[in-house]
Amino acid sequence: MPGLRKGETVRETTSSAIEARQWGNRVVLAGIIAIVAILAMAAAILFLNLPDANAFNARVERLFVENDTLTGQAEVKLLEILAQSGTAFSETLDSYRFVIFVLLVFATALLIAAVAFLVMLVALNRRMSLIERQGIEVNTLMIARDQKTVLLNNFEFKLTDAAIETLAVLAEARMDDEVLSGAEIEAVISGRSAEQCDEAAGATRIKRLRDSLGNQMISELLVKNVARKGYMLAIDKAVIRMV
Amino acid sequence: MKHGLSLLLVGLLAASPAGAACYADYKAKRDDPLRLHYGVAELRGACTTENAANELLPRLAADDWQLLNILGVFEDAGLEERRDSAGDYFLRY
Repeated sequence: MPGLRKGETVRETTSSAIEARQWGNRVVLAGIIAIVAILAMAAAILFLNLPDANAFNARVERLFVENDTLTGQAEVKLLEILAQSGTAFSETLDSYRFVIFVLLVFATALLIAAVAFLVMLVALNRRMSLIERQGIEVNTLMIARDQKTVLLNNFEFKLTDAAIETLAVLAEARMDDEVLSGAEIEAVISGRSAEQCDEAAGATRIKRLRDSLGNQMISELLVKNVARKGYMLAIDKAVIRMV
Repeated sequence: MKHGLSLLLVGLLAASPAGAACYADYKAKRDDPLRLHYGVAELRGACTTENAANELLPRLAADDWQLLNILGVFEDAGLEERRDSAGDYFLRY
């Protein structure tokens, strides 16, 4: 189990962040579509089931036709009045219909907000557990070359010229999504071509940088070694700031 | 025209053996707003409810009334007792 764990966490941190976001987006979309569909269906059913203005007239007309004795002038007049009062009531039904419509719109908006917040909560929880597992999350990495300092999550570290140079090179490479080998690092700093540079020289620069930042933790969190490829900063490129 | 005349003639011939005029009482409506009326009308053709419906439908429709049903057909004898109920629509159409 402990042997497995390291590989597992690496795999999870690289893929689950993206997967979780995609999954979350899909859930939000599906949820919102479901809400809109359900409420649209409810609205349709409600509106179809509300009696229309002619329902009263139709009822009165049937009454008139079915009763052969309803022929007197006064009786017919009374039926007409009945139908008219029914029609007047159906006008109030129209206002009910509008109220129902407004309430449905409100309900839709609230439910959409609720789904969005729920998904946000889930995403935040995942992020929190990720942070808890990782120990330290690099939120900002600010490299101030002229002051020879690096700000890691607002922790300020003083570095030597050589170390700050190495870190800057790694940061630039990270922003371009590149992995640099030791020779390439040395080449960028010294200005020679990579073929002329020694892999060991770059490795030494990396070692010195890690030493001055606090070796093991930094090599896991910040300056990562990718087997057979080289070195890269293991942080989100969006957090890098160069001054 | 000739056809119409001959029809009228046939109608008169058909009605005359009975010796009396034929009437029908009916119910009709108008929509928006709903208006209803009970009326009595004279028939020119055969003295049956079917014929009454056929005859009255166009006559009422000309004045925007919609025939609902025919209650029955009767002769002179039944006329007076329906005068009050029909009111304005007594023999109007």
